[in-house]
Amino acid sequence: MSSSRHQQLPPQEQLSALETLRLACFANPLDGLISLALISAVLAAAWQLLRWALLQAQWGVIAANSTLLALGRYPEPQRWRLWLLLWLLSTVAGLSWGLLRRQSWPRNDLLATAVLTGLTLWAPAAVAQPLAVQAHWWGLTAWLLLLRSSAGAMAARVPPPVLQCWALLWPVVYVSGMGLIAGGLGLVRVPSPLWGGLLLTLIEACFAMLLCLPLGLALALGRSSGLPLLRMGAVAYIEFIRGAPLITLLFLGQNILGFLLPGGLSPDRIWRAAWVLTVFASAYVAEALRAGLAAIPRGQVEAARSLGLNTAQTLSHVVLPQAIKVALPALVGQFISLLQDTTLLSLIGLMELLGTARTVLANPEFLGRNAEVYVVLALLFWCCCAALGLGSRALEVRLNRQRSVAVR
Amino acid sequence: MTQAHAADVVMLEARGVNTWYPNGHHALRNVDLTVHQGEVVVIMGPSGSGKSTFLRTFNGLEDFQTGSIIIDGINIGDDLRQRDAIRREVGMVFQQFNLFPHLTVLDNLTLAPVLVRGRAKTQVERQALELLERVGIHEQAHKYPGQLSGGQQQRVAIARSLCMEPRLMLFDEPTSALDPEMVQEVLQVMQELAAGGMTMVVVTHEVRFARQVADRVVLMADGEVLEIAAPEQFFSNPQHPRSQQFLSQIN
Repeated sequence: MSSSRHQQLPPQEQLSALETLRLACFANPLDGLISLALISAVLAAAWQLLRWALLQAQWGVIAANSTLLALGRYPEPQRWRLWLLLWLLSTVAGLSWGLLRRQSWPRNDLLATAVLTGLTLWAPAAVAQPLAVQAHWWGLTAWLLLLRSSAGAMAARVPPPVLQCWALLWPVVYVSGMGLIAGGLGLVRVPSPLWGGLLLTLIEACFAMLLCLPLGLALALGRSSGLPLLRMGAVAYIEFIRGAPLITLLFLGQNILGFLLPGGLSPDRIWRAAWVLTVFASAYVAEALRAGLAAIPRGQVEAARSLGLNTAQTLSHVVLPQAIKVALPALVGQFISLLQDTTLLSLIGLMELLGTARTVLANPEFLGRNAEVYVVLALLFWCCCAALGLGSRALEVRLNRQRSVAVR
Repeated sequence: MTQAHAADVVMLEARGVNTWYPNGHHALRNVDLTVHQGEVVVIMGPSGSGKSTFLRTFNGLEDFQTGSIIIDGINIGDDLRQRDAIRREVGMVFQQFNLFPHLTVLDNLTLAPVLVRGRAKTQVERQALELLERVGIHEQAHKYPGQLSGGQQQRVAIARSLCMEPRLMLFDEPTSALDPEMVQEVLQVMQELAAGGMTMVVVTHEVRFARQVADRVVLMADGEVLEIAAPEQFFSNPQHPRSQQFLSQIN
């Protein structure tokens, strides 16, 4: 930014790569010792892991159960709907990515592109999918990357109101995705007990992520409200939920929601669990948002009010846009732990990723293949969380563009 | 300065205003003030004298317990709709500028006229650019406040208030948070505004501004109005002992 103003650059020593490495790791004997110990420990662990992965592990269990782990017992004739959903997701994700990053390709994006491309080329082949399915995955990834670069190129010409409302597209994608998954309206119904694996994990996590935001916002506003009853209600809710372990709430939810709601309305087990996750996450989201609200100086509200904005306008146009920006890192942290918390659903008998993995391991044919299955599970979760993290980082950078400081 | 104001229309009338803070401190003690249309009134006084509190009661940012304040014929009471009506007609400029950091300079100006007055955005934008030109920062219209200097930010804040076409402007120590070299550019804008006939109530320590621009100077101390006088008289021949003391301290 300010490079034009600096006529004179600070003196810079030119160091060779080897010299830089020496200074970073072996500047003095103690540093050298620590570095050596760490390097050898990492190398030893990597060697053992590699030896296990290549020589001892029997990956057949993954190939044989890849569809089960991905979809559960979702019926074969209806799977085209999930492909359609994947195309929809790839479209919206590619466009969102492009609109966030514009024409810049930061290192994170290049890395993500490389990992995505590598996974697409390798994973379907590794689990022995037919060539047609492999090609389908290549198409999905190519489409995503194509949209990312073309949306990036056109982002500057997209009118700002579209960008502001873009996030609202995701709930629409969720609802239409659920329509595709569950059926109805002319599509064959696929009952929820047949959903499973990664599909069910994502259904549950996304439901909670989308709904805990408005709920958490209401709680955060309630907690800072001037009405004592509202404030106390919000405080009681937040403190109760935060004081109880999620697993007890899940068991409680399975029993209580059935009593609370009249017979026809009582949601089935999957949605009961999704609501419990939502209720749980919203208490934490409320606290994250409250911290964001508290960070906004009083003068902002005074300025808005003195211009004649009413309370709702002050909130929606002045306070919340700034508060959400402050709360964003905490919110994403919350989303990441929410995604991982879905594994607890296996304890109440839902066949999400972990539950499915346990049924696979209970199969005598695959006895003792725990390490292989759990490693893949961990990598799957890591991929989802990495995507969340990258997305939020990109959003932060875009929201921070008004700062005078250059954001790298 | 100008003796005959526009038919001596009263713009602001405060009668017997008393304010107690929640901690029991008696911040305003029975204060009266009348401001006519087109008049510039400067309120001075030591810190803690209640001058900012007094100013902030005029648009309902500060509550008062007894007395009455009538602005442009509207009585500030407990009725929130009255309060919103007054805020639409009264502009306020703060010590800390309080621009909205997440909006561009132009959007800072257009936000309220579009939301509150329901005017068309393109039309407001044209007016906003004219106002920015008047305060000398139209090249910065698409920057964010964080990219401007303090003096520029304060001029944007003045333009933002003017974009609502207020009938009365309140200034709460508008130059106190500025670096010394930027004070003059803000005072210049205020002086032009006064020359254009705007009714203004200004809390400030700027003696030169008070001397040159004010029609009347009000001295407050300990929550009371002690003296109201024309600037020539106030600065050369203050009547109240506290005024004499205050002037000897700031000179």
